[in-house]
Amino acid sequence: MKRDQLMLLVSGVLSLLALGWATQRNASPGYLEYQAEFRILVEEQLGPEKAAAVPAGVQQIWVEPASRVDRCISCHLGVTWAGLDDAPEPFRSHPTGPLENHPIEKFGCTLCHGGQGSATGLKDAHGWIKHWEDPLLDSQLAEDYKIPEPYAFMEMKCNTCHRFDREVEGMSRLNLAKQIVNEKGCRACHTINSRGGTIGPDLTDIGDKHPEQYDFERLTNFPSVFNWQVGHLQDPKAYTSDSIMPNFGLKTDEAQAVTMLMLSWRKHDVPLELLPITGLKDEPTEAEAAREKMMLEGDGRFFVENTCFICHDVSSLGIFSATKIGPDLAQAAEDVPRRFGRTLEDFLANPSGTMAVVLSKQIILTDEDKAEAARLMHLAYEKFKQQKADAEKETDAATSTVPASDGEPASQTHEN
Amino acid sequence: MKSRTLKNPEDLTEAGAARKPAGFRLADWSWSWSPRSEREAGDAVVTNFLLHWFPNKISLASLSVKYSFWLGTITAFLFFYLVFTGVILMFHYIPSVERAYASIKDIEFAISYGAFLRASHRIAAHMMVAMVFLHMVRVFLTGSYRNGGLARQFRPLNWWIGLVLLVLTLFLSFTGYLLPWDQLAYWAITVGTNIAQAVPGYGDEIRFFLLGGNEINQNTLIRFYVLHCMFLPLIVTGLFLWHMWRIRKDGMACDDRLALEERAQESRPTPSKTYSLLGVTAGRTATVEASLVDEDKHKVRAVPAVVRRITIVCLLTFALTSALAVWLGSPLEEAANPMVTPNPAKAPWYFLWLQELVAITTIRLGGFTINGGFLGGVLIPSAMLLWGFLTPFIDKSSRSAVGVWFSRERRLQNTIFIIVCLAVIALTYLGTYMRGPYWTVIWPWQAWPEFPPQL
Repeated sequence: MKRDQLMLLVSGVLSLLALGWATQRNASPGYLEYQAEFRILVEEQLGPEKAAAVPAGVQQIWVEPASRVDRCISCHLGVTWAGLDDAPEPFRSHPTGPLENHPIEKFGCTLCHGGQGSATGLKDAHGWIKHWEDPLLDSQLAEDYKIPEPYAFMEMKCNTCHRFDREVEGMSRLNLAKQIVNEKGCRACHTINSRGGTIGPDLTDIGDKHPEQYDFERLTNFPSVFNWQVGHLQDPKAYTSDSIMPNFGLKTDEAQAVTMLMLSWRKHDVPLELLPITGLKDEPTEAEAAREKMMLEGDGRFFVENTCFICHDVSSLGIFSATKIGPDLAQAAEDVPRRFGRTLEDFLANPSGTMAVVLSKQIILTDEDKAEAARLMHLAYEKFKQQKADAEKETDAATSTVPASDGEPASQTHEN
Repeated sequence: MKSRTLKNPEDLTEAGAARKPAGFRLADWSWSWSPRSEREAGDAVVTNFLLHWFPNKISLASLSVKYSFWLGTITAFLFFYLVFTGVILMFHYIPSVERAYASIKDIEFAISYGAFLRASHRIAAHMMVAMVFLHMVRVFLTGSYRNGGLARQFRPLNWWIGLVLLVLTLFLSFTGYLLPWDQLAYWAITVGTNIAQAVPGYGDEIRFFLLGGNEINQNTLIRFYVLHCMFLPLIVTGLFLWHMWRIRKDGMACDDRLALEERAQESRPTPSKTYSLLGVTAGRTATVEASLVDEDKHKVRAVPAVVRRITIVCLLTFALTSALAVWLGSPLEEAANPMVTPNPAKAPWYFLWLQELVAITTIRLGGFTINGGFLGGVLIPSAMLLWGFLTPFIDKSSRSAVGVWFSRERRLQNTIFIIVCLAVIALTYLGTYMRGPYWTVIWPWQAWPEFPPQL
């Protein structure tokens, strides 16, 4: 029984030790140290009066419409203070530009920066932990991907709300990417924001595609979805061998910009009242809408449906290829007999060269399809001739009525 | 305190004080009161509700760590500790689909001792499941579900209450699993309730009843919350009290033998307690019988012996739980997302042996699939539970085997039981640590496949 008394003492001491450990963990959060440091910094730079106003304890911004709490300002104490532009992090003042339209008390921090707003420890708060899918898009990330602007990735967060805006100040990379998406005609194959073709996968929420759904085996550099997309954009066939997506010859920074744009296309829960008033919907310009309609519903839709347009324009029918690898099919009716000494129908039945490979492996056409193709190409040629004649008439009329001045653009003279 | 007034008057004189041993006495620190007489000890037991739980005197055998490992006491302490931490967590947790996850984040990051309380609650819950199981194993292997031949014993009842408590403990833990409303919670409950769906005929109805609908949503959350915080703890508390009361009536199984052995030596003069006089009661109850054993040799006063040991067990359990809580913390995955199924999606660990059984008994022959849900999810666990309930009747060993570890008379059933338990443990281990994406086996020497990050 003496042993029991000793055990009682030991177990009591052990319990107290365990409780003490828990208390020690609980009582020493990192932000208290930062707050003490900040007080000293403010006293040195702005005087003791200001230092007295430095808060203590957990500080937070409650973004009510988004049901978000951001406790970042518990450590990032200088964010709302003026005159600490050169202070070390986490005490630096926030640049005032972006805050004009996005007041911090209305938007908080994580909506734009990412990270875990509710957390109060460094690792948890910056979100570079397991089970937090919205990490801080910090300069380290840009450094890892060798992108010169330290906060380039933050544009992805901007695009959560500014998705449908074509040009936004400060989003140079994504503005470029949006331009590329338009120019290269991605919508010809891909649906984006519920508009576009169905040949390739729907890209509306491509940013939500889980890493599990990617095949990283052919990736030679650091495996991440970002690297996969950049590599795939630059050489689709290297990543998916049966891909019919053309190589657009994007430079690395262009491919990175388009990837950032794509990965920013995610479902989000930002409430309406925090979204920009302009651009709540993806609206095409009239010209774009007409062009898309022409491609998807016009006489030449056969060439879109059968993916001919990936390489070929059919210019007179309004079909435009992003790559222009092959010749314009609007002139095929004249071109084929001239180059191959055969009729169009004969060439389609027994193709030679590249088309022999394409028509036997990638695009399989039935005899009816081939007949339809030939018919449409003849139609296209008729239209082409017509359009050419009209254009010539117009230019003649233009040159006769408008007298050429000295300052006429070079292109005009070149055309003549 | 009572003891102070009952002190021997002699102690109060100078001579008495001088006779007292000087210096540090451990007893003064660890337990301040030691009854001076049998009567005082008896009075204390009768007048004090807490001490009323224990008999006046208790056998050394039943105090032994080697016999019971105090698993029941550990379980009971864990239950009350869970109630304590759970009630505090209730002040901060919000059982709504929109806010549950964020309220857990607040508990983790902004509330004093919040992370510690939540981690303690989680660890204690896991430990309670394990301890209830081990307690059942102990009772089975010592044959303590059987009567030892003393009057008014009905141990099978307590064994059955114990089995119900085991099931309720699993259900308590299962209902608590959903509350954080993270991916782990959402998909564990999805898998768990899908197993329940395999009940033939009524599967869909059972799942509908569990979830309060066809899918996991607000209805499920509030249902699980009420079950977890009110309904199940109240039932468990009631059954626990019954369990304790039956122990006092039946006595510890290890004491039966002591009493029977003593009775065999009838020639020895026994204390003259004749409760069976005039046939008012037939036979002597366990308590009376146990009080007849040679007290000086086999017994000690319950106060302080039992109270002290229970305190030691509770404190050690508390220390271990707290240390594990601080060390391990409690994970919280991404917020629940019905659109993203984690790969693999796993049931709570104590149901993983069932999920494993379902997976193993699901056989694919070409395009034809035999679903193992019924066999693995319903038939095998029901059969095991039925075997558990019938065990007291199946057991044909003699009374001398009651309260004995690994008695030879029960060799066959003990062997089967141990094999079943090991199989359950092995399947649980397999499911917990060795099942990777697409439910493939990943051996300990193989690297766990990690998905690359997005950025």
